[in-house]
Order: sequence, then structure tokens, then C-alpha cells
Amino acid sequence: MMDEAKEFDAVSLGILWDRLVSITDEIESTLVRTSFSTIVSESYDLTVVVLDREGRLVAQGSHSIPVFIGTAPRTLKYMLQKFPPETLMPGDVICTNDPWMGTGHMFDISVMRPVFSTSKGTLLGYTMSITHLPDVGGIGFGAAASEIYHEGLRLPIVKLAESGVINEFILDLIAVNVRTPESTIGDLRANIACNEVGGRQLVEFLNEYAIDDLSALSNAIRNQSELAMREKIKDIRNGTYDNSILIEAIDEPITLSCKVEVKDEKIDIDFDGTGGCVARGINVPFCYTNAMSLYSIKCLTIPNLPNNEGAARPVSVSAPEGCLLNAQPPFPTGARHAIGHFVPGLIFGALEEAAADKIQADNGMIDLLTVQGTHPDGRPISTIHFVSGGFGALNGLDGRDCLPGPSNMAAVPVEIWESITGMSVLSKKMIPDSGGAGEFRGGVGQEVTLRNDTGKPMTVLSMGNRTEFAAPGYNKGKPGALREHQINGKTINPKGAHVLAPLDTITLRQAGGGGIGDPRMREKKKIERDLALGLVSTEGAERDYGYNA
Amino acid sequence: MIRLGVDVGGTFTDFALIDDSGGQFAIHKQLTTPHDPSDAVLSGIKEILKLNNISISDVSVVAHGTTLVTNAIIERRGVCTGMLVTKGFEDILDTGMEQRYDLFDLRITYPDPIVPRTLRKSINERIHFNGDIETELNRDEVIQQTRVLIEEEGIEALAVCFLHSYVEPAHEREAVSLIEKTFPDLYVSGSSDVYPNMREFERWTTTAINAYTRPMADRYLQKLQRELASLGFNGHLYIMTSSGGMLAPVTARKFPVRLLESGPAAGMLMSASLGRELKLPNILSFDLGGTTAKGALVRNFQPLKTEQMEVDRVNESRKGSGFPLRIPVLDMIEIGSGGGSIARIDERGLLKVGPQSAGANPGPVCYSLGGRSAALTDANLILGYLDPEFFLGGSMTLNKEAAHGVIRDNLAKPLNLSETRIAWGIHETASEDIARAFRIHAAERGFDYRGAIMIAFGGSGPVHAMRVASKLKIPRVIFPFGAGVYSALGLLASPLSFELSRSRRVILEDIDAEGFSSNFLPLIAETSASLKEAGVSDDQISITCQLEARYFGQTHEIVVTLPNNNLVDRFADVRSLFEKRYSEVYSFAAIDAPIEIINWKVIASGAEPIFKMNYGLHVEDQQKINPMKGTREVYTEPSGYELTPIYDRYLLSRGMEIKGPAIIEERESTCVITAGSRAVVDQFLNIVAELDIV
Repeated sequence: MMDEAKEFDAVSLGILWDRLVSITDEIESTLVRTSFSTIVSESYDLTVVVLDREGRLVAQGSHSIPVFIGTAPRTLKYMLQKFPPETLMPGDVICTNDPWMGTGHMFDISVMRPVFSTSKGTLLGYTMSITHLPDVGGIGFGAAASEIYHEGLRLPIVKLAESGVINEFILDLIAVNVRTPESTIGDLRANIACNEVGGRQLVEFLNEYAIDDLSALSNAIRNQSELAMREKIKDIRNGTYDNSILIEAIDEPITLSCKVEVKDEKIDIDFDGTGGCVARGINVPFCYTNAMSLYSIKCLTIPNLPNNEGAARPVSVSAPEGCLLNAQPPFPTGARHAIGHFVPGLIFGALEEAAADKIQADNGMIDLLTVQGTHPDGRPISTIHFVSGGFGALNGLDGRDCLPGPSNMAAVPVEIWESITGMSVLSKKMIPDSGGAGEFRGGVGQEVTLRNDTGKPMTVLSMGNRTEFAAPGYNKGKPGALREHQINGKTINPKGAHVLAPLDTITLRQAGGGGIGDPRMREKKKIERDLALGLVSTEGAERDYGYNA
Repeated sequence: MIRLGVDVGGTFTDFALIDDSGGQFAIHKQLTTPHDPSDAVLSGIKEILKLNNISISDVSVVAHGTTLVTNAIIERRGVCTGMLVTKGFEDILDTGMEQRYDLFDLRITYPDPIVPRTLRKSINERIHFNGDIETELNRDEVIQQTRVLIEEEGIEALAVCFLHSYVEPAHEREAVSLIEKTFPDLYVSGSSDVYPNMREFERWTTTAINAYTRPMADRYLQKLQRELASLGFNGHLYIMTSSGGMLAPVTARKFPVRLLESGPAAGMLMSASLGRELKLPNILSFDLGGTTAKGALVRNFQPLKTEQMEVDRVNESRKGSGFPLRIPVLDMIEIGSGGGSIARIDERGLLKVGPQSAGANPGPVCYSLGGRSAALTDANLILGYLDPEFFLGGSMTLNKEAAHGVIRDNLAKPLNLSETRIAWGIHETASEDIARAFRIHAAERGFDYRGAIMIAFGGSGPVHAMRVASKLKIPRVIFPFGAGVYSALGLLASPLSFELSRSRRVILEDIDAEGFSSNFLPLIAETSASLKEAGVSDDQISITCQLEARYFGQTHEIVVTLPNNNLVDRFADVRSLFEKRYSEVYSFAAIDAPIEIINWKVIASGAEPIFKMNYGLHVEDQQKINPMKGTREVYTEPSGYELTPIYDRYLLSRGMEIKGPAIIEERESTCVITAGSRAVVDQFLNIVAELDIV
């Protein structure tokens, strides 16, 4: 296995590896610069990868969000089953948004382009970009669907371009099926363009270093990542650990269970015991479960190393077919993140003792509110409001207030939100005592109130979680506060659609992050600082920390 | 007339003096006096004038660049600052962007807000995004809350930050003027004056930092003015801004946040100026010093600018880990490498250089100041690029043995590679990292660097420039004359200039020519007024109008510069100007979508200073001396160590040609001319090296 790697030493491998990552970053910046939707350009809900001729992931853009770990090689495999490598031509572009072949929901489009040697015409490898499209038709972004057919246009694996000629029919088909054709088609074109740039860069790079075969370099890079990962797994205590949590589904709570087996340099994660699928769009295809599991282990081991398939090798993930974390068609999956985001906390909880210094208490998580209506200037609005709860604490570090995790959608600034929607934000304030108490405190949540000032009714859709089950703290740390949604001051069902009449207000109270360690062990000066800043109240300090001034 | 440039850097304060008639040119350097930087400024001015027999009354301009403001933020040496904000939004500085700059490292931290939560008070007032007033300003509350902040918290400065003040500044301005009247000793900054742009977190952060640094900048500049006057100076003092324009002290004292990074900006500006002189439109400006490295791109003779910058990054210079500011700045490339960058074995088991740095103190191991980690300079010394006896012109001796030792023990042995392989690996990895920084920066800006040239300066820039250039397939590298005081020279190449940009989101199709020009007129009046304050007359002021616009629905704007002409007439051309620019930036055809204007920007500039390059440093009479000092073993790939000629830069004469490999030494830096290339000394004593590539 290591023989091929020997042609690279610690100097050349570092240089070539970093250069490959830099190519994916350059493709990413082309994608971000040319995209139309905020979800790509501001929230970075995207990834870009380079795969070798054998379809193994060698490099992934540094900004990629965790959702996309490990999905691209599987997607490519499906694509090559339909269009075998020997039939591919330079300038071909292949795409799909199928949840089971792609990333778990139809909003993400995976766009792949084979890369050919300019001199010999041989296939060198592949580049792929994945972005979250602003719209795919159907019921809209959210959990409201009861079957996948409600969730919009499902594109089978299809050639978006053949030998450089774009298939305009596919673009037309998408355009007539979505609410925001300009930005959706604009983003698709950005995906096509960035892969073209990527292919060119990859060829230039291979020529420059006189590398005939990307696969040898790919082997060396992946082997080195695997070694680094195995080395770090040794720091986690051997054993078999279980965890089980209740999470809010649509009607009744569902159990997520996992068993994590740490054995020297290997980790096996299995989700047996997890509940079944539901007739709402929160079911999680396995690719997503796998991505979140790999992400969790990477955070605990080699957070600072570039991602590739090597890091995935020491970790095996499984889930019984048909359970909520391995959903099958035709269960809808639009909001699979609503459940999938609980996977890291579930795994960290299992490793509470085995990796006490590394795990993070769970997060208050992000709150997504889809808003549809008409701007006072007459233009239609369909956009998402992101607001974040508190970040979970770690041993030695308080969780940051109002910081998202594990997802990472930036809040839209108040001034921008108001001008693009015509709504008013009445206030945006941190909530004292909402961070889970602990020797290290969880981050506090915040309360945001929006008012419909558009003059017309608006529809708001949400899938707010943590309204019954708070972000747990670990190792005697306490959970964070719960999330709550209100319309005109009255608590509403945080999952589903509501109409906001003109001048109605909606208040989004965000959940706090969990704490780490016994609150009684918290340093006095830290409690006093929280009191001075108003992040903990006098009563809270007494109740949660036993602090008396 | 004599003009004098003074650049205060971290280690040295540099001086450059020129006579506009072209007769005289002198440079000077002395140690910076961190406790009071004006000490070195004043004593250096006296010194350079004395050395050149010039009376201060003959000096028409002192152009000043300073790191004062940057340091004040990083070292938290500003004053106790309070903040008044729109009611309901007291926590904006805490919630921030609500985004992680690193997704995998869960131990993520951010700098503490400049104004703590306890010093932020809310005011009843509310303005909508379209400028409509919902809640009138509560004047009593403004006075009362300010009084509380002064009396109970002891604030010396105050930032007034209301929502949507970039559209309708009435409330902010009224509050500021009320406070100034009632509390005349308090330094007050309003966000619509500091930078009237959309995005409250960035605008308020910028304003808070302006307020925080204003008292010290004000005192410093007043003192400098006073002391210069007492020396008999009766010319103009100008201050360099981050965007490469000059300000009169009266404006600089109001907006110190505009002075951030003004030293590096001046160096970049000098590259653009050299490009104009040499008729080179596209340039990669590359400055690699002991602790920091900066790059910038010049497109069509203009340095690229931006409105975004970050200061005080807490996490090894990671983007997103500092304060995001919105001010006009030269679009600097942050390069993670410097001479002090530490080489180590990373978690992958591979060689890595930086981002940790040994700085200038203790610095690299070869400085013998207590450094224990192998740094880039140690590798460059081993490879023969630096002369241990001629560092900083011989004022410091480098310990080559110690450099060998640390590279052998810390890196070569554990990696089972030769010392030479490691030293070359460090040099090459750093060059590759620098090339990558340029590549990514260029890609993000749609800048095609192939065919551009590189201008390299700073202590280590000329050591790496040709390797970096060859990786980028750049055919030519210029080692400019005066590289040792390049920023000080750049101060003399810049006009007076003030720019303002205001956010106002408008769909082009929704407005007419009159509405279009009415967005620019107040900005033209405001920017011109600040130039008039600096003594520029109306007929000398030139105005440039720019739009930041995008297709409706996009989120990234492009800058469209309007040709200098009647704004009402230009209105009809906006769409075609935008489409032309769009296809240049994105190499995409135009799209059939409405155009959305986000920001309206005006740059008012005074006359360009006379700046000729044909100055010489008394070298003409030395022409007969052989410029070759000797030879030493220098490493090149793939031939290995070879006896290589060493030249004294100060003895090179115009037209002389040097074939690589060669080393050209000057006091502050060393030019490495790579094998296969050819360097020529041009008429301005710049060394122009042509690479043997592509």
C-alpha cells in the first residue's frame, strides 16, 4: 500500500497536496463569485472536490460544510454506472439531485465534469461541485411533504452538457419547475463554469509537475491522512459506548441511538435502535448520516487536516435500512438536516468519558425560517432567515454565544434582511441564563422578533427543534434553554407553516448550548464576569452555580 | 520644493526625501520609538535634513504613514469607549456574523468586542430600510444615557450607531451634535459619518474602533503638528490612509480608522507608481518582511481596492477570526509567511512552514536572540542566499552553525531526509504558499496574472520573488531601486484623496437620470469639502464616481467606474458599462436581469504629485569599481550547491547585465537571480530580471 507513496517525500508531498487543495479553493471562489443565491455566496452551502480516475476523493475545498463529507465518491459511482468512463467526452457535464445518489435531499445539485489530458486525451480524474439550489419546486424548503414527490423536481443522473454543448432542455425543464428560475439557473451555470475552471487548473498542475497519473499522488495523500487519523484515534479510550437521545420529530418524539466501538486505531459506529421513518420531510438518507458521523470523528481527531477519503477509512458507519437515519424512498427528505444535525451530539455523548477533553456539549443549533410573500416593491419573496442558538461548551472553553453548530449558516444582517423582505426586525437580543450551566458554560441563545410590514399576508415555514429536548451538557454540565416560537406573543407549533398577517409579529427564541463539567466547579471570576455582562442573572447564578455575592 | 516621506514601521522608521525638480534624493532609517513614535519621526527629520544641508523651511510637504492605529487595536491601547445604539439591538457586537470561520476546530475563539456589553446603551429611535422614520429620536435619552456612560463608566469616546443610518443619517447626526454640544470633551463618532454602508455589525464595529482610537490619534497628530511647527516647518503635513490617498490632519483626526495599514499601503502604491513610469499596467506587488508579508494586485495601472478588511485576528491570521471592518483599503493579500515563519512537521507528518512565526524577536535561530525553532531565514541562510556577515549591511551577524543544528535535529533527522533537502523544502514550501496566496486572491477577483509582472521588496521579498514568479508563470520580476524604504517613497507618490461610499439599494430600472445623479451629489460635496480643508482649490479637485452593482438576486457586487462626465448623461450608459465590466470579471455573457445598485461611491482627489524615478544615490562616480564582491556556494535546484557570483547592488550601473544564478546584495535585502534567467539594470537603477519559463 505504501510503495507508490515512496516517490513522494515529506517535502514534495506537502507541496503537491496543498496545491491540490488550493485548486479546489480556486474552483470554490469561482463558484461563489458567479453564483446568484445567498445560500451559496454568503452561507457557503457548497462543496468542491477533486477525484482521481478510480473515483476516490483526493482534495476538497477548505470551506466545504460537513454535510458533503463522503457524498461525492458515492455520487460519482452512480454517475459512472449510467455513463461509463469510456463513454465520457471532454466537455461533458453530468448532474443529479437525487437524494439517495446525491447528498440526501433534492435541494443539492451535484455537478460533475471529467478531466482529460490535453496532450494524450486520456481520462485523468473528475471534479465535482455541489450547491444547495435556491428552489427545486414542489412544496418548498421545509418538512411539510409526506412523500418525496411533494418535494419538487427530482433529476435522474443526466448530462447537463455534452462535449461542451449545454442541454438547454434540462435548463428549461428546471426553469419552469421552480419559483426562482433566474437564481436557480444562474447557480447551475455557475456550477458548470467552476468545473470547467477546475479541470483546466488540474491539467495545468499535473503538467507543471510532470505527473502522469493523479492516482499515485492520490494514494500517497490518502495514505498519509489515514495514518494521521489512526494515530489520533489512539487518544480515545478503547471500549464500546452507547448513547440514546430523544429528539423532536413531527408528532411524537423519536429515539436516536448509537453504539460507538473504539478499538485501537479504528472506530465503528452503528445506529441500531434508532426509530423509523415518518411521513414528513425529515428522514435522513444514509449518505447524510455517514457524512455527519465522519465529521464528528474528524473534529475529535484531525480537525485541521484537509479532507479526503483517507480520513474516512478508519471509521465505519452503519444504520439499519429503513430507520430514520437510513431512510428509503419514497419517504421525503427535504429537511433531513433537522434530524441529521443531532448525529454529532449523539456520538459526542457516547464518548463523554472516552474523549472527555475533546467532545463538545451539544449546540442550541440554528433556526431556519422560510419566508414567502410579496415585497412592498411588488417583487415576490422566497428566502430563509437564519438565527443561531448558543454553541456547546468544551472542556476548558465556554461555548460562544449565538454561534451555529454543526451547520454554519451566517445570520443575514438586520439591514439586509429588512431591505430584501420589507419585514422589520423589532429586536435581536441575547437571553440571559439560556446557556447550559457548567464549569464551562454553554453559549446563550437570543430572541429575535420580526414584524410583517409588507402590507400583505406572508407565509412562514419552520422546523424549529429543541423545543422539548434541550441541548444536553456532558460530564455533569447542564442542558441549555429550550427554543420557542411565538406569533403575536403566543407560542405556536414550531414545526410547520403559519400565515403572518400584516403587522403580525413572530418571535424566535433560540436555544442555549449545553455546559461541560460541574457548575459548582466554575471559577468565581467567570461567574462574576457573566453577571456583570448580564449573561447570567443574579437568580440564575444562585440557582445554577450556587453563587452568592 | 522638497518633500519628505516618513513611514513608521514596527522596527524601523524610514525617511525618504525628494526634490520635485529631480535634483535631490536621500533616504534615512532609524529605530522606531514605540513609547512615542513621534520621537523618532522628529529626530529623524532633523537628521536627514542636516545630512543633506536642507532647511526645514524649504520642505513643502511631510507625508506620514503610521502603524499607530493598528497597534492601538492589537494591543488594546485605545480609550474607554461607550456606544449608543437603536433600542433592541444592544447585542449586535456580541452576536456578530453568527458564523464559524473553522468548521472542524470546535475550540473556536473571536476577539472580545471593543466596546463591552455594559458600555452599550439603547436609544428609542427607529428608521426603516427605505429611510422612513417610525420612531422619532428621543433626545433626552441621548443626553441622559451619555451622561451615565461618562459619569459611571468613565468613557472618553462614544460611538453612535443607529440602524439604516446609511440611508437616513438624520437621527445619528442629531444625536452626535447634541452630545458634542452638551459634552464638548467627549470624542464622538457617528456610523453614518465613519462609513455609511449597509450591514450593521461591520459598520458599528468600524465606528466603535474609530471612536476607540480617536483620542490617541488626535493627540498624536496634534503633537506632531505642534512640534513640526516649532522646528520651523510651515508646509503641509499629510497622513496616508489605508486606501493609498492622503488626508489633511484635520480629517485624519476625525477618522483614524482610515489610517490602518497605511505603511503597507504606501509600498503597494509605490509599485503602481513604478508601473506607470515603466508602462507596465498589471503588477503583482510582493512585500516579504521579517514578520509579515503582504501582496497586492495592480490592474490597468490601478491598485485593486476593496472596502473590507480585518484587524486583530486571534487565530493565526485565519480569515474571519478578527474584527471585520468596512473602510476603503488597498486590497491587500495576507501572506502567512515571513522570514520568521517557523518550519515544523505537521499532523500529516509532512514539512510545513508557518503560520506560527518567531517574529523579529527572538526571531530565527540564526539571529542568536534565543529562537529555538527553525525559521525561513535559517533555511535561506543555509542555502547560501544570505551572507552571515552582511545581514542588514553587516550590522548583524547570523549564526549559520546554529541554523544547521536546528534544521538537522528538529527536522532532517525525524523525517529521515538530508539537511539540504529540508532547507530547500522550507524555501520551496514558503514560495509555494506565497504563490498560492496570490493565486487564490487573483481567482477571487477575476484577475488574470499571466503576463503581469512582479515587483518585489521588503527584507526577504527579493530572496523568494523569482521562485514565486516561476510558479505563477510570471515572465518578469523587478527589484526596485530604494526597496529598503519603499513605503516611505510611496508616501511621496500619492495624491490627496478622500473617498466615501454610501449604501442605497436601488433597481436601475426604477430610477431616472435625476434620481441617479442625486445619489452622487451629496457624496461629491462631502468628499470635496475634506480636500478643501486640506487646502486644495476647486479646480484641482477631480471626482471619480463608482457604482457597486449586481444583477438582481446576486449577492456579490462588481465595481463600475463611470467615465468623468456629466452624471445625467452617463445614466443612459450604466447598463452597458455594467455589462462590459461583468463580462470582464466573470468571462460570462450578459444576463437578462434587472441591475441592482447597492453602493454609491465617490473619490475626490487632488493633483497627482510630481514623482520622477530618475533619482540616483550618488553611484555614478563609482562605476569603475567592479560590482562583483566575490563568490559563495549557493543552492539551486536541480544542480545543487554551486559557486555563485555575488554583486554589490550599489555598484551596479545602468545597462549592466547579470546572468543567473547570481546574488545581488543591498543593505536591507538580497536579490536571488535564479539560474537560466537574465537581469538588467534599467535607467532608473531598478533590476529587471527576465525568467526563463513557459
